Amino acid sequence: MKQAHRWLPILAALALVGPLASGSAHAQKKRGGKKPSPQAPAAAPAAPAAAPQGSTDIELDAPAAAPAGAADPNAGAPAAATDATGSPSGGICEIDPSACPKELDVKAAAQKQVNAEIYAVQQIYALRYHRLELQPYWSFSLNDQFVSHPGPGLALNYYITNVLAIGVNGNLYAGLNNDSDFNFQNRRATRVAVPLNEYQWNANVNFTYVPVYGKFAGFGDFIFHYDAYVVGGAGVISTRPIAVIDPDNRKFDFEPKLAFNAGIGLRIFFNRWFAANLEIRDYIYNEKLENLSVGRTAAEQQDKATWTKDNSLTNNVQAQLGISVFLPFSWEYRLPK
Amino acid sequence: MRRFVTAAKKSATTPKIALGKAAACAAVALGMLVAAPSEASAQEIQLTGPLKGAPAVRQLRLYREGRLEIAPTFSFTFLDEYKRTMFAGLRLQYNIKDWIGIGAWGAYGVVNSSTYLTDRINETSPRNDQTSANVSPNKASGFNDQTSEMKWIAAPQITLTPFRGKLAIFQKLFVDTDAYFHLGAAFVGVNERGDCGAAGQTKCTAAASFTPVSRTAIAPTFGLGLTFYASSLVSVGVEYRAFPFAWNRAGFDSRGGGNDGKFPDGKVDSQDRTFRFNQMISLSVGFFPQKRQSSE
Repeated sequence: MKQAHRWLPILAALALVGPLASGSAHAQKKRGGKKPSPQAPAAAPAAPAAAPQGSTDIELDAPAAAPAGAADPNAGAPAAATDATGSPSGGICEIDPSACPKELDVKAAAQKQVNAEIYAVQQIYALRYHRLELQPYWSFSLNDQFVSHPGPGLALNYYITNVLAIGVNGNLYAGLNNDSDFNFQNRRATRVAVPLNEYQWNANVNFTYVPVYGKFAGFGDFIFHYDAYVVGGAGVISTRPIAVIDPDNRKFDFEPKLAFNAGIGLRIFFNRWFAANLEIRDYIYNEKLENLSVGRTAAEQQDKATWTKDNSLTNNVQAQLGISVFLPFSWEYRLPK
Repeated sequence: MRRFVTAAKKSATTPKIALGKAAACAAVALGMLVAAPSEASAQEIQLTGPLKGAPAVRQLRLYREGRLEIAPTFSFTFLDEYKRTMFAGLRLQYNIKDWIGIGAWGAYGVVNSSTYLTDRINETSPRNDQTSANVSPNKASGFNDQTSEMKWIAAPQITLTPFRGKLAIFQKLFVDTDAYFHLGAAFVGVNERGDCGAAGQTKCTAAASFTPVSRTAIAPTFGLGLTFYASSLVSVGVEYRAFPFAWNRAGFDSRGGGNDGKFPDGKVDSQDRTFRFNQMISLSVGFFPQKRQSSE
């Protein structure tokens, strides 16, 4: 009895291991399927291509159903669906008969016309097509060491295509122009005054073209997308000279002037509708400069016509750092991935 | 998210995992019941399948790792007040890993050109007692000659490349790209107006006092750049560099006097140097003589 008691757990364990052992054979099926065990043909001579005993895997490359059906039309589906032991053989045909591949379907599919156009990037991460971009930013002047012109700005761009947008933007400079200490030092040392100008605002209509996009892996861990664009347009900028030569008499008013602009930008996407922006834009316009000479008489000095003299084609190059919000926030891709 | 979708697709197309999936679902359901009080864990996407723990990019072309880079550079300063400089240089860098490299950049100022302001001062500044200590009496090109210029730069530096990727141009041309930061020390050879006006020195109003002398300024240098890999052997780069330090760009006597030292004191010396955030843009062509590797 003692010995029988000792063997009972072992038998129970074997009974449990049995199904697990067949499961492990199942896991080896891919290799076994190509090289069937010698017992399989002997056990099931009517279905030589059928899966080995105990297997429930799918073998799409070796359709067992068709040869069996052809050999014995009466046996047909049952032969295909069962192995030599009569247990179900599994496979897509058993799970979903409608999805079972048929020889005729394969021929038809091979002759089907397909759209061979393959895009380099099948689904662009952040589509711009027919989306509105809101772009608030802060700008800094880059090329004026005499007067800095910082200020807030806002751009609105509507993307007609995925790479081309039409939009407007505007900057507000009023009250933020800063005449640097460098001007004072220079005037004191050399007794030479340089005509200075300040800005009030500008407004522009622009076209944006996005020829470059890509993605970066950051620290080999996360991926973010970016694009680079060129922008150009025309608009108006309101400026005036800062009275340096004769500040006692000269009080200039802001005047709007025609301006053209061109620039390049980089946009880094944090998600599909939110991005950070850095743009370098050159606003080119014809500036009126303060007259460096002063009238001899009080009447001449107070004559506004004598306050300005030269015009100068001026480049106001500024960096614009901001964010982009794309509306609508989401969309559906036309083609699957 | 992309990993998750890929893993989900894989499981959906492999029926033999269906049993395991059901068991996993049951386990997840049980786990959710057990972990219900923890809201954060309920939001996590547990990545399973073959991509679990996989790197963001496989077979990444390691353009830098273990490779020496030799890159001729062309650089130009910008936002200069009196004089611009163009440099021809060379960068030598050994990239220990794909994300870190050590090296040095050196350049020589091949062109120093005056700005509009310099020309204007030279032409219009009156030469009288009020300007005699600050503007060279030589009207031919006196002021241009007295303004300071950078002659050479040597900068040992470390380069960190955290971002690796690619870009598409016109959806036709695809280029492997990386973005990097560099940080180091810059030794800058500067030609600057010499000291004058102190006891035993030339008077600052004398024509001889406007002659520049050489000195070496030391400054931190840092910036960022983009590298575009045309092939595994050649790259093209664009880089921004800042190297702030104090120098007397115009050779003026503008500091040292008054109560706060912000007025002229009749001497030109180190007190007249003012801090300047010097900046430049560099273009480079990099050559990598060693063979490129790939990640796993």
